Amino acid sequence: MDKLIHTGDKATVTNDGATIIQLLDIVHPAAKALADVAEAQDNEVGDGTTSVMILSGEFLKEAKSFIEDGMHSRTIIKGFREATRIAVQKIRDVEYKVTNHQSPEFRELLVKCAKTSLNSKLVASYKEFFAEIVVDAVMKLDADLEKNMIGIKHVQGGSVLNSFLVDGVAFKKTFSYAGFEQQPKKFENPKIVILNLELELKSEKENAEIRIENPEDYQSIVDAEWDIIYGKLENIAKTGAKVVLSKLPIGDLATQYFADRNMFCAGRVAQEDILRVAKATGGQVLTTVSEIAETSLGTVGYFEELQIGAERYNIFKDCPNSKTATIVLRGGAEQYIEEAERSLNDAIMVVRRAIKHASVVAGGGAIEMELSRIIREYSRTISGKHQLVVNSYARALEIIPKTLAENAGFDAVEILNKLRQKHAAASNEGRWFGVDVNKGSIFDTFEQNIWEPSLVKVNAISAACEAACLVLSVDETVKAAKSEQEVTQAEMALRGRGRGRRFRK
Amino acid sequence: MASAQGQFMAFDEFGRPFIIMREQEKRARVKGLEAQRANISAARAVSNLLRTSLGPKGMDKILVSQDGDITITNDGATIMEKMDVKHQVAKLLVELSQSQDNEIGDGTTGVVILAGALLESALNLLDKGLHPLRICDGFEHACDIAVKHLEATSEELDVFANDNALLKKAAVTCLCSKVVSNHQEKLAAIAVEAVLDVADIKRKDVNFEHIKVEGKPGGSLEDTCLIRGIVIDKDMSHPQMAKVVNDAKIAILTCPFEPPKPKTKHKLEISNAEDYRKLYEQEQQYFVKMIEDVKNSGTNLVICQWGFDDEANYLLHANNLPAVRWVGGVEIELIAMATGARIVPRFSELSNDKLGRATCVREIGFGTTDDKMIVIEGCANTSAVTVLVRGGNKMIVDEARRCLHDALCVVRNFIKDSRVVYGGGCAELMASNEITKVVDLEPSIEQYAMRGFADALEDISNALAENSGLNPIETTTWLKNEMKNDPNKRFGVDCNGVGIYDMKELKVYESLQSKVQQLQLATQVVRMILKIDDVFAPSEYS
Repeated sequence: MDKLIHTGDKATVTNDGATIIQLLDIVHPAAKALADVAEAQDNEVGDGTTSVMILSGEFLKEAKSFIEDGMHSRTIIKGFREATRIAVQKIRDVEYKVTNHQSPEFRELLVKCAKTSLNSKLVASYKEFFAEIVVDAVMKLDADLEKNMIGIKHVQGGSVLNSFLVDGVAFKKTFSYAGFEQQPKKFENPKIVILNLELELKSEKENAEIRIENPEDYQSIVDAEWDIIYGKLENIAKTGAKVVLSKLPIGDLATQYFADRNMFCAGRVAQEDILRVAKATGGQVLTTVSEIAETSLGTVGYFEELQIGAERYNIFKDCPNSKTATIVLRGGAEQYIEEAERSLNDAIMVVRRAIKHASVVAGGGAIEMELSRIIREYSRTISGKHQLVVNSYARALEIIPKTLAENAGFDAVEILNKLRQKHAAASNEGRWFGVDVNKGSIFDTFEQNIWEPSLVKVNAISAACEAACLVLSVDETVKAAKSEQEVTQAEMALRGRGRGRRFRK
Repeated sequence: MASAQGQFMAFDEFGRPFIIMREQEKRARVKGLEAQRANISAARAVSNLLRTSLGPKGMDKILVSQDGDITITNDGATIMEKMDVKHQVAKLLVELSQSQDNEIGDGTTGVVILAGALLESALNLLDKGLHPLRICDGFEHACDIAVKHLEATSEELDVFANDNALLKKAAVTCLCSKVVSNHQEKLAAIAVEAVLDVADIKRKDVNFEHIKVEGKPGGSLEDTCLIRGIVIDKDMSHPQMAKVVNDAKIAILTCPFEPPKPKTKHKLEISNAEDYRKLYEQEQQYFVKMIEDVKNSGTNLVICQWGFDDEANYLLHANNLPAVRWVGGVEIELIAMATGARIVPRFSELSNDKLGRATCVREIGFGTTDDKMIVIEGCANTSAVTVLVRGGNKMIVDEARRCLHDALCVVRNFIKDSRVVYGGGCAELMASNEITKVVDLEPSIEQYAMRGFADALEDISNALAENSGLNPIETTTWLKNEMKNDPNKRFGVDCNGVGIYDMKELKVYESLQSKVQQLQLATQVVRMILKIDDVFAPSEYS
């Protein structure tokens, strides 16, 4: 389910763990430790934040009863750590690997991972559609898979299914001056000049003093200014480029000049878009227009200005060395699109991870059930107090399938029992059984293509364990003399409207 | 809110609460079914408000803005926009109607009512204990069935046949619910003509930027007219200039009619009378030169983005050059586009080939007031058109503009995609019938949700009947039954009381695209609302 959280005038609808925690603005030290872990998971793998929180909560719940029984927290920590080690090792043992990155099988794996990530989201009913988009987008990137190279743009209106992927860059039409409409809006194989330069008739910055005696000379000053701007424009036109982009404004004079020469220009393009265009077209961002080298121009297969919903977009497609992609999201309400973007972000992260480490495990609580079984079996081989702790760790892992079943509105106890029975069977067949949230029973999630990168799971389990251990290892909280209530209030007063910055990156 | 507060709290062994979140005491939390109920009732409140505005007999709302501006309208998107809704879930519905407006331009009321009806039936299902996500899945499934059925039963019509009768009819259908309905024929004809003038029939594309709708209070709605050209709300710079320029050659200038000034800061120091005279002469020369440049290029009308002082104005008049000053950037661009002119930044760059052409430019006055407008007709390049809306007061003019916008959109949609379904609730009832037919084959519990969807669809025809003063239940049941017995019938609510229920005969068309969009958007938003099970808000808010 989703949460609706108000912060100031803005409301966010989401079920992304990291986003919820960020918006809740937690101040309690122990609770904050957990929140930080979730955030770390978000930064590291981008998905599985909710699992981390649930798992660490459950570990602590198990630990509480031991502590009440007088067990030393160090013992508990040791047991948890040991169990985690085994869990991680076991994931490595059972994971399914694809080594050949070119094979269609590999692509399939990515699509499945993306789908699994999207399953829980608002856009779940369109997961096939978005999974393809996400995988296509990520596959476009170069080896280092920099996420900034995938742009996500929102256009309100239309149905979600009208969202599409641009093989290249797309950005909203920038503010334009009179004359813009007379420019051509479509080019094939145009050259592109990318500038960080203002193209306007403006006063020069020099501080020199020029004295003129004659009114006739006055004209020369006026002309000089015009010459400067015309010089710049001529230089650009001479390069043979058809599209001129600038981070800084392009004034009306320049707009009309380009219109006369059948060129297209856009000023005040956002920094990230400029960078992505530069990357996609192979051009360089220039700060001067004198002597533009042929090599610093970018090229693109196809440029067009397109109407999308109520907005107009500049689209650069078929870039020669396209290492970037743009996803244009459509949807009914702004909040819907925002949530879709967050979901896609998660999916993109998952796919990126999956490309780097092409190994997967089955989702839907299957891997947790399997780990739980193995750790429980292992616990019986230990003597001493550890046995209890490790055993409880095994129990805690079951929280994931349990929560899955509960959230889907089914009887968790019954499903859990069925799963335990399957996994306990001697043969290996039962090991990928997880929760079927649609029918309220269990099935082989691996066969049903519910796949998750094993890295996400490894990270989630270790992070949850670390968080729990961190909280357990604290035996005393030293507070400042003021009561907690006052501290928060004092902090509040100090920070004024800037509350919550601490959690943001 | 005490109990809701409690959900946040954790206590240590001395019963002291832990503070977990910043400003915890100031926030309220609503959770689970309670949250869903609260959200649904907020959304329902909004959709109920619109309910009475649906259909040809729909009523208008007066909306008074904070600074006292009054808007009278029954256009869903406009009502929602001006209502200044605070509740976040209700805001979702506002955005919903706006998306429909952006994409289709019509059906903005219907989509909100549909979403409201879906939420109501979802509430019933929630009470039965169905899981919200299952309800959403069921709704989505049902929506798919409905869309497929509508696509299968839609009819592709030749929109241009019979002197565009179909387009006119569609525009009339759109306009008949509006305040301007007694002029619907005339406005519909204008809308169709305007769209056809700029439409690219081959590409099935209509560029709305070429259609401008200008309003001017005064006169009556009947005086509304279509001008094949551009209208700008300006007058000639000198009252004695020619009011009509035939075969105009237009120079578009972005520099003021005054001596040029460098942008760099400068100071003028004049030490003696001699210098002053020189300067003055120089200035005079500039003026003469400017006028000469303009004259030499063959211009007979000047349109300038900036002003010009009396000196220039006099010279222009003396040289028989009508001129318009202070024309905004957008209009400049539009005129340049339409007349094929190039925008010229300096007098020295003026030349004959940079001029724009138009067959006629005239200044027209209205009534007894001093209001003047400049009309540029017969432009060389494009077929830009302007609809000049007249009406008794500003509110009527504004409303008429909105109505025309809707009608223009409808006509455009038909040109884009000529598949039609029938209005008057007919399409919804057909979809509802289809869902009821297949619903029993659905094995899972989503069956219930699908039935709920079918019920919700009937709400449109219920609302229509209600607004027309008919008995809603009776009408809907009868219509459903008729159509079930004969799948070829296209029956809908007879809002005008003419005694005919056959929408085919009445020619009440709606575009398939618009209906499909309505269904899909409403379903999506309902899913979003139902999926929320936890609301954190500042407590003064709830």
